[in-house]
Amino acid sequence: MILAKDLTKIYSNGVVALDKLSLSVEKGEFVFLVGPSGAGKSTFLSLIIRRELPTSGFLTVNRQPVALLKKNEIAFLRRSIGVIFQDYKLLPNKTVYENISFALEVIETSSREIKQRVYSVLELVGLLNKARVFPSELSGGEQQRVCLARALVNRPLLLLADEPTGNLDPETSWEIMDLLREVNKRGTTILMATHNKIIVDKLRKRVLALENGKLVRDTIRGGYTLET
Amino acid sequence: MKPKTFCYFLHEAFCGIFRNSLISLAAIGIISIALVLFGLFYIFTVNIQHLGTLAWDKIEVRVFLKQDVSNTEKIKKQLTQIPGVRDVKFIPKKDGAAALERLLGSKNLFTDDDNPLPDCFHLSPAEKANIDEITRLASAISGVEEIVYGQKFVNFLKVLIRLVLVMGLVLMIFSALAVLYMVVNTIQLTVYARRNEIEIMKLVGATNSFIRWPFLLEGIFLGVGGAFLAVLLLTKGYGFLLGKLRRLNVYIPLLRCTEVNQPLIISLFAMGIFFGGSGSLFSLRRYLKD
Repeated sequence: MILAKDLTKIYSNGVVALDKLSLSVEKGEFVFLVGPSGAGKSTFLSLIIRRELPTSGFLTVNRQPVALLKKNEIAFLRRSIGVIFQDYKLLPNKTVYENISFALEVIETSSREIKQRVYSVLELVGLLNKARVFPSELSGGEQQRVCLARALVNRPLLLLADEPTGNLDPETSWEIMDLLREVNKRGTTILMATHNKIIVDKLRKRVLALENGKLVRDTIRGGYTLET
Repeated sequence: MKPKTFCYFLHEAFCGIFRNSLISLAAIGIISIALVLFGLFYIFTVNIQHLGTLAWDKIEVRVFLKQDVSNTEKIKKQLTQIPGVRDVKFIPKKDGAAALERLLGSKNLFTDDDNPLPDCFHLSPAEKANIDEITRLASAISGVEEIVYGQKFVNFLKVLIRLVLVMGLVLMIFSALAVLYMVVNTIQLTVYARRNEIEIMKLVGATNSFIRWPFLLEGIFLGVGGAFLAVLLLTKGYGFLLGKLRRLNVYIPLLRCTEVNQPLIISLFAMGIFFGGSGSLFSLRRYLKD
């Protein structure tokens, strides 16, 4: 699903965010991306969705060489990737339904299909009764579930999660993790950047540890640190 | 584009305007001020041009014939064929004497036999005609003694019309650029207020053209709103000015409202649409780089 070879990203201010990073993630995997702040986790996610371009090296997502995509092909790459964020990035002036349907409107899906798919993901994330509510009326956990629903409504092959539990209490964090595991069971590849030691240690999934832009550990069923 | 998609763009454009109603109102206000500025220069320029044309119509070239010339019909025909001559009128020496008598308030100044005045033709030049060329060609006709016209006045009028035209054009271009600058700056505020929306649209796979459409329509609607206000102010204002001049019995032959309004309305709405739309697209550029 994801293949990186000698991937390097140096920002214009000279900061080396990724340093010859090489890794691969297979279809259907659930992978944690861990490491201290500034290790390069978010940069790696940004390169995958082509928000940034690598300085050198090679990256493919679903066999597409991301850096070589033409401008009009980037949108199509992004349609195959769902993204969820720590700060949810919901539109405050749209209802829950509109926030999710928005992702389908932009790819010109028919009204009937939009309705069907939005209610289907709302059911999956347990927010059927909140469809007409605005994000400000929801708790943090519910907002993250809306964000997840928006990411899933396009039926992505890959789901990127950037600190999805960063703003949530432990109980709500587990609710989100349960949803992510359910989504993964249905076949979606998940790459989740996190600082949440408890979750990583408990779930025992594959762990990629980054430090100073380098891959320092790749463990199947690993913990947050080497010792755990 | 599917009709449903276009309806979605329209809906988003209207929502964008109403959700950011204060910024939208500010944008409409600024666009209308800039367009009023443009419209004022336009009204001023077309009226000066109109006055210039009226003055030009008063210009007459007088072609005096030699004494005892008899083939006046042939000369009239030759004068009529000169390019730029709109009308040729023959004034026989007898009529010339009568006019002079009227001017001086005397009677029986000359008899038919001792009338020293020559026969004469009055030529009316067409608009923008080259009077120097007309006089050169007319003086070459056999039987023509002298040609008289208000040379200094004509030259002054030519320079004045050209000057006003150039000045008006320059001012209109500057005010058009000012409109564009103001529109871009104001619409940038509305785009900035919705930068998160743009980012999310990109992340969920919207193409750049899909993102542009609602903003383009929003810019056009703001431009039309601004143009509407400007048209209202200028047409009512010009009508009020003409009415005021009439009431004060000041006769300045300005263009009538109906003559000014149509091109003014068309150009202001066209500018509003063009600048609103292009200003919007220009403001979006940096958000759609990748």
